[in-house]
Amino acid sequence: MGRGRSGAAAVALGLALVAALPFAVTTRYGTNLLILAAAWSISTLGLTVLLGYTGQISLAQATFFGIGAYAVALGTSRWGIDWWLALPIGLAAAGAAGVVLGMTTLKLGGHYLAMVTICFQIIFSQIAINWVAVTGGPDGISGIRRPRFLVPLDTAQQYAWFALGALFLVGVAVWLLKDSALGRSMRAVRENELAAEALGVDSLRVKVTAFALSAVIAALGGALYASGFRYISPDTFSLDQSIEVLAMVLAGGSEAVPGSILGGFLLTFLPEWLRDLKNIYLVVYGAVIILVILFMPEGLWGWARLAGRRLARPAPPRRARRPLAVGGRGEAGEPILALENLGKHFGGLKAVDGVDLTVRRGEIHALIGPNGSGKTTCINLISGLYRPSFGGIRFLGREVAGVRPNRIARRGMARTFQNIRLFRELTVWENVLVGAQRAGGGERAVRERAAAALEFVGLPARAHERCRNLPYGTQKLVEIARALAGTPELLLLDEPAAGLNQTEKQELVDLLRRLHAHGLTMLLVEHDMSLVNQLSEAITVLNFGKKISEGKPGDVLADPVVVEAYLGNRDAALGLAREHA
Amino acid sequence: MLELTDVHAGYGHVAALRGVSLAVREGEIVALLGANGAGKSTTLRLISGLVHPTQGEATFAGRPLRRLPPEAIIRLGIAHVPEGRRVFPGLTVRENMRLGAAIRRDTSGIAADMDRMFALFPDLARLRGALGWTLSGGQQQMLAIARGLMARPRLLLMDEPSLGLAPILVQSVFRTIEQINRELGTTVLLVEQNASMALRVAARGYVLETGRVALEGAAGELLRNPEVREAYLGGRGADRDAVDRSRAH
Amino acid sequence: MAVVGQLAFTGLAIGGVYALIALGIVLIYRATNVVNFAQGEFCMLGAYALVFLWQGAGLDYFLAGAVALVLMAVLGLLFALGLYYPLRNRSFLPVIIATIGASIMFQNGALAVFGPSPEKVRPVIEAGPTGGVTLGGVFFDYQYVVILGVTLVLVVTQYAFFEYTLLGKKMQATSQDKDMARLLGIPVTLMIALTFVYSTVLGGLAGMLVGPIYFVTHKMGAVLGLKAFAVTIAGGFGDVRGAVVGGLSLGVIETFGAAYVSVAYKDAFAFLLLLVFLLIRPQGIFGEKVAEKA
Repeated sequence: MGRGRSGAAAVALGLALVAALPFAVTTRYGTNLLILAAAWSISTLGLTVLLGYTGQISLAQATFFGIGAYAVALGTSRWGIDWWLALPIGLAAAGAAGVVLGMTTLKLGGHYLAMVTICFQIIFSQIAINWVAVTGGPDGISGIRRPRFLVPLDTAQQYAWFALGALFLVGVAVWLLKDSALGRSMRAVRENELAAEALGVDSLRVKVTAFALSAVIAALGGALYASGFRYISPDTFSLDQSIEVLAMVLAGGSEAVPGSILGGFLLTFLPEWLRDLKNIYLVVYGAVIILVILFMPEGLWGWARLAGRRLARPAPPRRARRPLAVGGRGEAGEPILALENLGKHFGGLKAVDGVDLTVRRGEIHALIGPNGSGKTTCINLISGLYRPSFGGIRFLGREVAGVRPNRIARRGMARTFQNIRLFRELTVWENVLVGAQRAGGGERAVRERAAAALEFVGLPARAHERCRNLPYGTQKLVEIARALAGTPELLLLDEPAAGLNQTEKQELVDLLRRLHAHGLTMLLVEHDMSLVNQLSEAITVLNFGKKISEGKPGDVLADPVVVEAYLGNRDAALGLAREHA
Repeated sequence: MLELTDVHAGYGHVAALRGVSLAVREGEIVALLGANGAGKSTTLRLISGLVHPTQGEATFAGRPLRRLPPEAIIRLGIAHVPEGRRVFPGLTVRENMRLGAAIRRDTSGIAADMDRMFALFPDLARLRGALGWTLSGGQQQMLAIARGLMARPRLLLMDEPSLGLAPILVQSVFRTIEQINRELGTTVLLVEQNASMALRVAARGYVLETGRVALEGAAGELLRNPEVREAYLGGRGADRDAVDRSRAH
Repeated sequence: MAVVGQLAFTGLAIGGVYALIALGIVLIYRATNVVNFAQGEFCMLGAYALVFLWQGAGLDYFLAGAVALVLMAVLGLLFALGLYYPLRNRSFLPVIIATIGASIMFQNGALAVFGPSPEKVRPVIEAGPTGGVTLGGVFFDYQYVVILGVTLVLVVTQYAFFEYTLLGKKMQATSQDKDMARLLGIPVTLMIALTFVYSTVLGGLAGMLVGPIYFVTHKMGAVLGLKAFAVTIAGGFGDVRGAVVGGLSLGVIETFGAAYVSVAYKDAFAFLLLLVFLLIRPQGIFGEKVAEKA
């Protein structure tokens, strides 16, 4: 993409370093350090995928490193199989373990996930130490063979090339992953899992994949380590090492490949350079983690990149060849969404209490009601964020009550959120691309749709700005473009006008009118009655979770029941006045 | 007693208040009305120090509020009963009320006030040992008001006390507001969506719309003014003439 | 029968230590929503402080203990101001990582200052030839008795503090609704600082009590801390009863497990327990459902 030119330069530089370093380092000791750094940096890249891209914390990276190492160790020294066969076995085992660990994210996140990974790590350590028959216990395993790659890699220098080459390949792969559909989905999950789900991203699948990938990558690092030093023991694969990998990733910069590699090398070489001060170094190391978190959350690389930001100016996305195809197929006027006696109770609170509502194709349908009437709960039920307590929701003829949000989204529903849920650290373009992924097709089709959606809302000029730097009104537009890019059949808008000034509201009205002219069906929750009046063909009014009125705007807004719901009961008020007259 | 002059405030990029001016005189009940998102809650949060103005001034008894934090503002005599009641769920009614007087040191005065509150809210007296989360919505609202009063505030800010309450309870809440104004002399600035009820107990009112004061006047007049209804349901958004017309009242 | 009694007594005593550490974790979590991964290190630092003041500086044992607790309090204050306060508005991930960083710093700082060889600390009560008394076939080591006694006294005092004092109520209010507490004029930052100070002291005290039993090394906090986490999760994150009940239970389970199942895997019981709870009932025994992510 726009990173083409700087990307090619980086690749060339990387290749040059791989070729040159083993020459430049002349001592045996130094070469061994190169091998060590390469192996650990590969492990760090695994954490880049898991933590940097997907935002999942893991303190079990050393476990997967260890699985790869033990597989190669046992394979070549005990079971007598070829390195190139032992390696895939190790990778597969690590991948499976990663999947298992990843599945725990179904129910857990945050601190709990951190704890689970710690448990996992400690249990592995305990097994490695105690299951002497298999792992050799604390004495470890020696006599590990090296692979043959063009030549038997007997010298340290040859092996260093091998290891650095592997690091290079993994680095490129992880770098390419970032801009792929999977990479975007991962980053979307990291930024805002809820919004990602609502855009059709299967967040569980993404997280499990991230765990599996990071495990496999780490296992590769472990295999290289084992053969590099021909001896392994359990205390290399303990919680301390997992924490070190985490520190490497943070110090270098968790989201960038060069950053992670930089962190890996730095934290491998630094203790050796400061060997005389070894104990103090480790103290400083802990302090560095804290300082990085406080002052440089994007690590050294991120800090360096801020300076270099001006250099890489990505090209704006190519113009769309076709205009955005919103509106779906089917007869105008046929019901595409039907709520049937829908209800949601939260404990004793009846947020939604038996609501019937039908949205017809091509119409703009407004859902209004005073604060606490259940409007947002309805939207959350429809889009799958909540499970109904009773009743049904039919979308395009199929029942969707209780279906996971990403599946509902992929059937053709898109939504915006009341308090904007953009992927703040991603650019406008990346946000819209994630939205476009929902409708499937190859990368080219996805980009086409994204470009078309951006043009529709008028934002191509700002495509490469990070969302968190955008003004509020623009952010709202991006959210709409992101929802449109998947060419939905139904668009849910949750208070799109909230916080907008008069000019911005007028632009919003124009935009929604254009979408309406293209045939897009919209369900709109709003408080701004002038907007509702101008746009909607049908209004449903809720109060205390029940429907109290429905019909055309003119009728509904004059309905005394509705007036009372908003302004209060005049008779009751009169009663009060009479008492104290 | 309280005066806001051309106050602007917001959250991050969003401007919530775009030039609000209002005044509350000692001993009054003033209603602050408007549709959702109009800026009513933000106005209260600005007065109690949770939000700071980007422009304009707020003064209380002649003293500018500037960027004082909430801990200082309550010591000036302004108590805020926020939206959603926010009673401490794990503490009893009695403990909630005691914490209302957190800034006071006169133990005998506090004890006397506690008895007074129980007399004013007999339901709470009955429930004095019950934990906050076990109370019903209406009871929690009463507790929140009593807790606010325990600080012996000169000005009580109330944010949507009727929210989520059944109509009968709403009546009783407003009756209580009148009572504390009458018997304790507490000045009240009352934010409400329920305009009718609020205007029955208030002496004056302001109607906010997208961060500005769209209408103001004596409660009785506002009650009869059809433009209030329009502010909620008719959308007078870009209608500048109407805004100016109301100002002329 | 005597064996069971012995195991139970020992288990409860060790469990008391876990309970004290877990309490520190729970209190910080309730007040600030921060999971302090450095809690175990507070134990280690408390133990080393005692060693340093008693052996190094030659102070009287009990005076050394008191001064050590004061030092821990100061550490807690620095921790609150230097680590928690700057990060108080960030998401949980940076905070977890920062506390992990602190834990590394403390561990290796202790290693740098005190060296790798384990230190020995005298037990609180030095009386009698065996350091304990045998009743009904069960040997009651005085140190274990002290641990149980201290745990009991502390839990009761803490309960009384939170239930019956105004300050205790203010701290509870801060945990339950920070913004509302501010609106009532409660000095929230001070409340949080106090929480950190108390938790640090608890941790240090636990370390000083367990020092004579296990030797004092720079690594002692790591395993203790992790086991305390197991306890807080099993007990119900954020629940004080859970910390106490969970701690005592883990001590007993571990001791019986080591005796009847396997000594080598003794430490694994805690993590197995933790894993089981995390997978089956993450809210623990007393906790409420882990919040929906909406």
